[in-house]
Amino acid sequence: MFNLTNLVQKAQQFIEPALPIAGPAANDRRPSKATLFRYQFRLPDSQSPLQEITAELTLSPHHSQRAAAGDVTSPEKERGQGNHYVGKLHLSEQFLCFSTTGSSFLTTASLSSSSSFTGQTHGAGPAGNGFTLPLCAIRRVERLHSQSYMFALAITTWNGSPDPKGKNATPSGQKLTIQLAGSRQQCERFCDGLKRGLREGVKEVENLRTVVTFTYSEYLLTSDGDEKKGAGEEAKKGTEHPDTGLGLIYRYPGNARKLRDATKIRLWREYLKENGRSATLIRQPTFHKLIRVGLPNRLRGEIWELTSGSWFLRLQNPKLYTETLEKYSGRESLAIDEIEKDLNRSLPEYPGFQSEEGIGRLRRVLTAYSWTNESVGYCQAMNIVVAALLIYMSEPQAFFLLSVLCDRLLPGYYSMTMYGTLLDQKVFESLVEKTMPILWDHLVKYDVQLSVVSLPWFLSLYINSMPLIFAFRVLDVFFLEGPKVLFQIGLAILRINGEELLDATDDGTFISVLKSYFARLDESAHPKSENPKLRAVTRFQELMVVAFKEFAGITQNTISEQRSKHKGAVLANIESFTKRTSIRNLGPESKKLSVNDLGFLYDRFYTVLYERAERAEILQQEADRKAKAAKAKATEVVTGFSGNSVERGRVALGPSPTQMDYDAFREFLAGISKWAITDSPSSPPELNGSQSPHSYFGSSTKNRPSLSPWGSGLEPTDHEFMRRLFRRWDVDMADSLSLQNVVTGFAAVKGTKDIMSNISYFFELYDDDSDGRVDREGILRISEALLFLSRRGVTESGLSPSPSLTDVRSGSPERPNRDEQFLSSVSAFIRRCFEYADPDHPSNQGNQAVDEAQDGLDNFAIGEDDLIDFGSEPDTPTARRHSKNPLSPKPSDKDPLSPVTTNDSTDPIEKERKEKAKAANLALDPNKPLHITLPTFRMVILADEVLEHFFEVGFSSSFKLADAPLLSAASSSNLTTFSNAGKQVAAAASNMGGVVGGAGAGVVPPGKGLRGMLDNIVSDGMRVAAEVRRRYDEVQKDLDSEARHGRDDEDEEEEEKGAPDLLEGAETAGVDTSRGKVEELLGVPGAEAGGEIKTTRNRSASDASRRVLEFER
Amino acid sequence: MADSAPTQPKPSSSVKLVLLGEAAVGKSSLVMRFVNNDFQENKEPTIGAAFLTQKCNLPTRTIKFEIWDTAGQERFASLAPMYYRNAQAALVVYDITKPSSLTKAQHWVAELQRQASPGIVIALVGNKADLASAGGADSSDDADAAPAAEGETNEEEEGTDARRVATRTAKSYADEESLLFFETSAKTGQNVAEVFTAIANAIPETSLKGPRGVGGSTNLNRQEDARVNLAGTGMSMPDKGCAC
Repeated sequence: MFNLTNLVQKAQQFIEPALPIAGPAANDRRPSKATLFRYQFRLPDSQSPLQEITAELTLSPHHSQRAAAGDVTSPEKERGQGNHYVGKLHLSEQFLCFSTTGSSFLTTASLSSSSSFTGQTHGAGPAGNGFTLPLCAIRRVERLHSQSYMFALAITTWNGSPDPKGKNATPSGQKLTIQLAGSRQQCERFCDGLKRGLREGVKEVENLRTVVTFTYSEYLLTSDGDEKKGAGEEAKKGTEHPDTGLGLIYRYPGNARKLRDATKIRLWREYLKENGRSATLIRQPTFHKLIRVGLPNRLRGEIWELTSGSWFLRLQNPKLYTETLEKYSGRESLAIDEIEKDLNRSLPEYPGFQSEEGIGRLRRVLTAYSWTNESVGYCQAMNIVVAALLIYMSEPQAFFLLSVLCDRLLPGYYSMTMYGTLLDQKVFESLVEKTMPILWDHLVKYDVQLSVVSLPWFLSLYINSMPLIFAFRVLDVFFLEGPKVLFQIGLAILRINGEELLDATDDGTFISVLKSYFARLDESAHPKSENPKLRAVTRFQELMVVAFKEFAGITQNTISEQRSKHKGAVLANIESFTKRTSIRNLGPESKKLSVNDLGFLYDRFYTVLYERAERAEILQQEADRKAKAAKAKATEVVTGFSGNSVERGRVALGPSPTQMDYDAFREFLAGISKWAITDSPSSPPELNGSQSPHSYFGSSTKNRPSLSPWGSGLEPTDHEFMRRLFRRWDVDMADSLSLQNVVTGFAAVKGTKDIMSNISYFFELYDDDSDGRVDREGILRISEALLFLSRRGVTESGLSPSPSLTDVRSGSPERPNRDEQFLSSVSAFIRRCFEYADPDHPSNQGNQAVDEAQDGLDNFAIGEDDLIDFGSEPDTPTARRHSKNPLSPKPSDKDPLSPVTTNDSTDPIEKERKEKAKAANLALDPNKPLHITLPTFRMVILADEVLEHFFEVGFSSSFKLADAPLLSAASSSNLTTFSNAGKQVAAAASNMGGVVGGAGAGVVPPGKGLRGMLDNIVSDGMRVAAEVRRRYDEVQKDLDSEARHGRDDEDEEEEEKGAPDLLEGAETAGVDTSRGKVEELLGVPGAEAGGEIKTTRNRSASDASRRVLEFER
Repeated sequence: MADSAPTQPKPSSSVKLVLLGEAAVGKSSLVMRFVNNDFQENKEPTIGAAFLTQKCNLPTRTIKFEIWDTAGQERFASLAPMYYRNAQAALVVYDITKPSSLTKAQHWVAELQRQASPGIVIALVGNKADLASAGGADSSDDADAAPAAEGETNEEEEGTDARRVATRTAKSYADEESLLFFETSAKTGQNVAEVFTAIANAIPETSLKGPRGVGGSTNLNRQEDARVNLAGTGMSMPDKGCAC
């Protein structure tokens, strides 16, 4: 299959040479230190480890009432009573963190480069003892005199709401002493950093106050104090019970007495009293134990958000939730539709979710999240998880916790492709294989697919697998210790049921064994045991023990390793699935293209998007790095390396871009069509200029030539035609294209071999208001586009024309001629368009307008058609025309054309020039708008063999799809390769071939010279078109100043059948005036040769006009 | 078909059946109706997949359906291969009131035809027939008829009913792709048992090895057999034999 492996390889090829430093790929294998740091302390992505130092934490004596035996590390007398912990102290922009567990990264690792895992937490979460203090929660830091350490800091925190005018004027500030161990220099650096951070932290105090005021721990301790004082009436009124979830209204699941909720609350109150609350909580061994036995209902939400780190997110942006809801209120989305479908079916057994209140909360949280993370939107199972959270948490709390879940704890679980879910299933399977080989063999033997059972466990965090009360116990630990908990529980479930599962020989039995196990979790694990204590152990307790004792070896590190091991295969699977489905789902239009072509388009489409995303990422990183380097003060660095943004753009990762903007579209086209490749690739030095001409790619690529904005691919050009194509394909007006748009677009261009529809298509491209008319401006643009498209040849050489055609094409000089011929065809095209154009306002003496336009055109042709040198018989046709026309009252006098044309070969005198200007004005007069209709356009195209052929074959085959991969071939293509001559062949063409061949041989040496010359011609053609436009504009300006009375010339009415005559007249007249201009344009040296060629071109033009005549008859 | 004596205990075999289709077309409800003869207005969305079993008694044998009911939300689609792997039958469900769901169903059919075990028996099921007016409901009869019966069509789609997918449209598509076709209502139970019976009949005997049909090995000829069965015994099965 030439699908994603291809893509992936391409991507890697791209990344690796370009990325000597840690790039996404490396990042992916080994998370950066910053990532690990953030994960360890569950800090927001804006934090990075700025300072770290070994330190000893001493908790002041009153903390040690409850002796925490195991961790008293240094019982030296002189440091008095209290608990002492040795660990690492870290400082980030907004946090001061301490942990006794070894850091999960090497101290020496630099901020950005990856580092190996060390320590035990492996970035899993705040498992060790210590604290994570927001700097804004620190009230005061004093330096103490200490004998054993150089530096000792006494930190006083805001305990409780840091409200200066609060009722508790002096909250019993919590005090902790930290002694830094390190060289004087190190310590000073750390202290400096701390000082700066504290200063910054003052700004956050307001947020802290908002958030802390409504925490249950605060309430718990305040009310506690009040009771003791016995004079709390007033104060109590002030402190409302904080919102601790729907459970407050609809009761918490489970029997509170059985859960011993009151006891747990009491224990927590004691713990909190000594160890701070919410912001200032210190983790001591008791903390972990209290969590393992299950959190009390009302405190559950708060501890969840503290341990998961969502609390810190809320602290940073307390109003985000309400603001998001306000901002998007009333708006609709697919996610909202999907949410709506599931609201009534989320934990329906809980009374709260049969009520409007509960459903309303659920709706708001899910909706708000879907707006903040549109790439995830809404995934079924989120409703269940959020519903569960809402039983214990307020809406904002649940909202932030959901963010942490989706972004960090369950990466990719709920994404568009759910790659995280699939990946973790693979990981789980491999862990089962490792830890329970017999069971695994059994599963393989009977073809029982484990993930069928385990997927819902992970996806909904056991919430709809186990009875709620037990699922919440799992969650308690999960938020503290991280994703590994899910694996440990899953493995323990299988281990405990191992024997029964070994009897199961099909999915059905397998599932029912587990179902009945979950149903009996509250029963005794050892019902027959003599020992009453053992009998009291429930199956759930047994499960917890097995999970955390027997599978203690399953660490976050294990998970990470396994994840990176399976990632490739899982992603490739998803990608091939996605490709298959999305190609199949492209709709009936896509059937016009071959499967190969579709596959090619698919790959090309996503490769472009992927590479662009990668490049943007790299450039962004580089910019960050520069910014970092530029600013010596590390505190100012806010953006670090986000561990999650790795490999953005890969299809299987879900939130990849699926829309192509215009720049990407250009790049896309450049890989498919030669004409979309730029003529003047910006060279590296150019890119080094601080002001790159490509302003659309704003990011600087200085000093990194290898990182051109277009990557390794070819630099695309930018042309109005491409923009039109883009707009035309962008049927949803989204200013970007989806694969569907692109395929439908290609189906329209390439799918039909019908020349008529191709012509219509082209016409419609330029019919801006789709009223079936293209105005003067549009005609010019069409001609420009035709030249643009043909500048590298009309058809690809690979697509050899039919044999009969090849036969006609005999001489080699002929091929270049075709391009040149194309040019002349375009010239003729413009002229004819104007000839046959209809006036816009029939009331405005339509015929006159036509004629005026016609007249103008003749002059106009001077600028436009200077390529054509025509010395003879300028008058005859015109005259004939007039004489022929009986409706013209004074034909010869009134026709402004005659004087102009006759005099044009000589230097025009003043008066004549005026006349001429007027005439030109008439043609280009914006006040006399004209337009061509599709039939006219079609006629004009069909009148010219070259153009006809272009529309028959050339245009659609200029897009190269699967049949011939263009990339390699195109890289060699430049302007001088003219080998791709148009394959239009006709008598006229071959005739001309002879003439031009002769001319060419006479003037320029064959071979390169000829080619070069032709290049000139082609690029001149483009310039000509530009010139036409310029003149057009000038004339328009002229007009503004000039009175319009000079245009009273009445002209004869032209009948439809008169057109041929008219045409001839125009032809000759226009041609006649061209010479001087040619020389101007071509530059003097080439003039002679140019002139000669022009002759032939003219002949071709008149040739073509003859054909028009035939066509007309 | 086999002519085993009806007096002997009927051979029993398992058939793995997977339900696919857009979200909220009523896949789980169909299964619920078939397995428990029950209907719930607000069913929890299926996470990943649900698994249920139900027996279906045919005159000659008993089929035990192992039903994999999958999640319908679009993003769960990438999990589907996990579930339809080795499936011998598939129920591709759409909602007759939602044309987009038929499109999605067609995608699923295409996916199954290419990716699932060859010879898989696919039934296209238009659910929520209760929301259509009487005219549409009649059409279930002609759906039962042999695939060839193209002529008799009774579409009265213009009525006040919520039907948005003409029976004829779906039927002709089903014929084209050689699918079984039914319009059902999980709410009223209309045609639900018939769907499963028809599938049971369409499963070729050759692929029913034992209590647990192991797909994949002998299915090369299956397709042919399936067609034969369909045409031969077709809907002539009188029984609502499923144990529901």
